[in-house]
Amino acid sequence: MEGRLANSWRLTVNDKNFIKTALLSEIRIDGRKPFEFRKISIKFGREDGSSEVQLGQTRVMGMVTAQLVQPYRDRPKEGILSIFTEFSPMADPSFEPGRPGELAVELGRIVDRGLRESRAVDTESLCILAGKFVWAIRIDLHILDNGGNLVDAANIAALAALLTFRRPECSLGGEDGQEVIVHPPEIREPLPLTVHHLPIAISFGFFSNESILVIDPTHNEEAVMGGRMTTTVNANGDICAIQKSGGEGVPRRVIMQCLQLATSKAASITKQIKDAVEVFNTERALRKIKRHPTSTGDDVREKQN
Amino acid sequence: MRETAMEVDREDGRSQNQLRPLACSRNILHRAHGSASWSQGDTKVLAAVYGPKAGTKKNENPEKACIEVIWKPKTGQIGKPEKEYEMILKRTLESVCILTVNPNTTTSIIVQVVNDDGALLPSAINAACMALVDAGIPMKHLAVAICCCVAKSGYVILDPTKLEEQKMKAFAYLVFPNSVHSVLPEGSLRVEGEPIENGIITSVTHGIMSVDDYFYCLERGRAASVKLSDFLRRNLQQQSTDSSKAG
Repeated sequence: MEGRLANSWRLTVNDKNFIKTALLSEIRIDGRKPFEFRKISIKFGREDGSSEVQLGQTRVMGMVTAQLVQPYRDRPKEGILSIFTEFSPMADPSFEPGRPGELAVELGRIVDRGLRESRAVDTESLCILAGKFVWAIRIDLHILDNGGNLVDAANIAALAALLTFRRPECSLGGEDGQEVIVHPPEIREPLPLTVHHLPIAISFGFFSNESILVIDPTHNEEAVMGGRMTTTVNANGDICAIQKSGGEGVPRRVIMQCLQLATSKAASITKQIKDAVEVFNTERALRKIKRHPTSTGDDVREKQN
Repeated sequence: MRETAMEVDREDGRSQNQLRPLACSRNILHRAHGSASWSQGDTKVLAAVYGPKAGTKKNENPEKACIEVIWKPKTGQIGKPEKEYEMILKRTLESVCILTVNPNTTTSIIVQVVNDDGALLPSAINAACMALVDAGIPMKHLAVAICCCVAKSGYVILDPTKLEEQKMKAFAYLVFPNSVHSVLPEGSLRVEGEPIENGIITSVTHGIMSVDDYFYCLERGRAASVKLSDFLRRNLQQQSTDSSKAG
């Protein structure tokens, strides 16, 4: 089933004109103002390191797992961080299963650049034995529903999953101190990752008439817009990454306006993520307390046998 | 020999025939034509349906509708186990859907594993059925799936968690048609003298079990499928009174 014309979704000319005309009066088709973000809801799964983020109608799931591997030759004291993006066919009828297309690769690269090159995740603390054993953190981002602006939602999902992920504690042992013993979570409490700051991706859409600018485009607006730009900033005002690949040219003052907007939005989104993680952590702690009565009960029965 | 009234120690305190708490919600995705999320205890699966789309694949019969299943694991590459699940789901759903209504079309079902804590394939089959109902794909009846485990000492437990699945001698995934409440006279719903819900659509076993064990599993599974059918019926009736999806 190659992408047949009958199955691909096309916006009609009437819809496109309506969106453009409405934007001239600063009205967007979902009722937002041009610089208003959609509602973000962050939920977590049962296990550590799994998050589900909903940005308006866009839905992304993030999963973090860790494995002990050999480090890269040129970086023997650093852990490895890798991001895998899955544009699931359930998100959009035009997404095909199999190899990631260019949109998926671009999204993965933007999230990767924001996390790795800005040193948001501390990779040196992932090193157990220099040159031999380091933790490789793998982030899987599954796009479940494409309602537009996948980059921002995927970025928030990755950050939320990283903040709630716990890696097992391990210590060096063996005869020559070269063996790594990984302690199971029941024996020793797993450790959180060291995250220095939260790089938040904010996307903008540019429209050709009167150089109109909107923040957080929906998928209808994405089909109409002339260009897009994604800026990754953190709450401290640092710019971690800017991505503007092609599309129409915009004057410098528009870029400056975007950056200022992004910094103010990043602060509120950072607070939202941290609040959600706090709630999850307290729930997690409560769950641990409840477990103890049944586990001591089992021990008693075993001793009687 | 069969300890039917034996008290079995299950970690979460359930009895032999007790299922985990079920939760199901439909119409959760906006782009997909039909979607459902199904959770049994901690096992959670998300299913989405797109269809019917024009055209069938090369090796499929164009005189009938075709069903395509894509299984997405939680993490990692797609390998042989995922392909096996896709094949089992495809064949199960092909026997449940009415394929002659929309010939030369393909209906795609995408299953995403959110969390795996035992009985993954049955949860996926249940989720896929609910998603097909949400999309309005014509079906003969629903498929109700259940997992039964046989322990070394011969007792059978239903709906195991992942730890229980690994400890057991053998387990079987069983899929039955749902139980029927009908205004039609009894006779018309029987196949060769037996009520339709006594049939088995799919059965996948892992491990060694004796023939007696297998038939006992079928009995227990059938009884549990009646409870599951009731849950599905209540869930579907409740949500059908809500406002329908627009656009």
